[in-house]
Amino acid sequence: MAALLIGLSLVVVTSRSVFRSAIALTAALGVVAGLFALLGADFVAAGQLLIYVGGIMIIMLFAIMFSHRPAVGLDRQTNDQWLWGALFALAVACGLIVQFRAVYRGVFSTTVSMPTTISIGRLLLGDMVVPFEAISLVLLAALVGAVYFGMDYEERL
Amino acid sequence: MFELGPILSHVFQVLQTWVIGHGVPPLGAWILAKAIQVGVIVLLVSLIPMVLVYAERKVSAFMQARLGPMNVGPYGILQTLADGIKLIFKEDIIPIGSDRIVHILAPMVVVAPVFICFAPLPFGKGLVPIDLDIGVLFIFAVSGVSTIGVLMAGWGSGNKFSMLGGVRGAAQLVSYEVPRVLSVVPVLMFYGTQSLHGIAMAQQGRWFGVIPKWFIFYPVIGQIAFLIFLIASVAETNRTPFDIPEAESELVAGFHTEFSGLKFALFFLAEYAYVFVSSAMAVALFLGGDDGFSAGGIIPSWLWFIGKTFAIVFLFLWFRWTFPRLRVDRLMQFCWQFLLPWSIVNIGLAGLAVLLLK
Repeated sequence: MAALLIGLSLVVVTSRSVFRSAIALTAALGVVAGLFALLGADFVAAGQLLIYVGGIMIIMLFAIMFSHRPAVGLDRQTNDQWLWGALFALAVACGLIVQFRAVYRGVFSTTVSMPTTISIGRLLLGDMVVPFEAISLVLLAALVGAVYFGMDYEERL
Repeated sequence: MFELGPILSHVFQVLQTWVIGHGVPPLGAWILAKAIQVGVIVLLVSLIPMVLVYAERKVSAFMQARLGPMNVGPYGILQTLADGIKLIFKEDIIPIGSDRIVHILAPMVVVAPVFICFAPLPFGKGLVPIDLDIGVLFIFAVSGVSTIGVLMAGWGSGNKFSMLGGVRGAAQLVSYEVPRVLSVVPVLMFYGTQSLHGIAMAQQGRWFGVIPKWFIFYPVIGQIAFLIFLIASVAETNRTPFDIPEAESELVAGFHTEFSGLKFALFFLAEYAYVFVSSAMAVALFLGGDDGFSAGGIIPSWLWFIGKTFAIVFLFLWFRWTFPRLRVDRLMQFCWQFLLPWSIVNIGLAGLAVLLLK
């Protein structure tokens, strides 16, 4: 599944059509939701699908569909230094893998997966209520801003 | 007596012990049992839309004082089968100016989530394919994936009008998801679980010995929640009066104009399967799932569930031929300026009710 995710991300970055990259990104986010589910985080997996795929990617696709790019672009997606870039990315990846193995050696999840909704609810309204309220305020500001920018110019003033 | 749940689990036990006795490891036996259950669900999902298409044609015909399909088979029962076979043999046309891969993938992205949506539905006692703890959220999340398919269909047709149809369709789908999810929140507040089977179980019993404890009978919140959920589901499944995306008399066929043959059949199948899923959810959440007097075991619980679901499906079909189509801006207005505020008010009232009753 992780290999599928890496493959899809490569398609996102190298595809010549903007729309195809967006579809590959959607599929990649779906695979991430699957990874969440495999790790036992059921609520987060469903939330990932609902919000990322069902909300954010749709808006992104709207924006792509309404911008006037030709359907299959012929631009080259890489510049002349792509080999050095690829080597650098590979080096970073190896470094990260070595570090993760060193820190998490032998710690595989052996706990029985339990439904997480109750604990998330308790956390949100218990220990984490301040970040929860702060995030709601940020969302409210974003909503008001979106409505304001969506109004006609004369209506705004 | 006719309860399928215990019979089926017994059958699976026997099958598994037989298979293990022949040398297959227990994990293999478990996978085999799950594969058979998946096969049954796939079969269900393929057959139910056929029944629904026939039902729609007959119901609409009787409402319009005509007979509907009568030629193919007795009373036209095999009509949908004939239509399906015809669609399979049609030529598969891919427009030149379109993106081939997107055009081919779009119907699959629309149809695949429906099969998954049938899993958490409580078909009866012991007949829940998978009793997910996040059943409600899961169905909503997976339905959202179909919206991407609608956008892909609009884009992949290589046709400006189809693209506009796809965008309008996706906008409608995304908008009506909000009141739909919010209208279900009072149910979750009362029953404390997102498992559809758990919610259906919690609605057993009677008040004063007569009125069933279904959520729709709760004083004000039940009715408002049910109505908002029903209206939003009709809009989510692109049925009249909300079928601007596929209006036959307006946009030719909107986002699925350029799809012929099997691809069109897949879109059709997805729409009717979603009608069934929405009705089943309404039944499980608001109408008590498989609750009902069992007459000493003669009327099994799954018969109650199927009966109630088809009653709601009849409502869906009835709406189509009763209400005129909403214009697209009034459709959005209706969602954001009427349904959404009322669903939020409903959540407030439900909070009050939970406070007072517990």
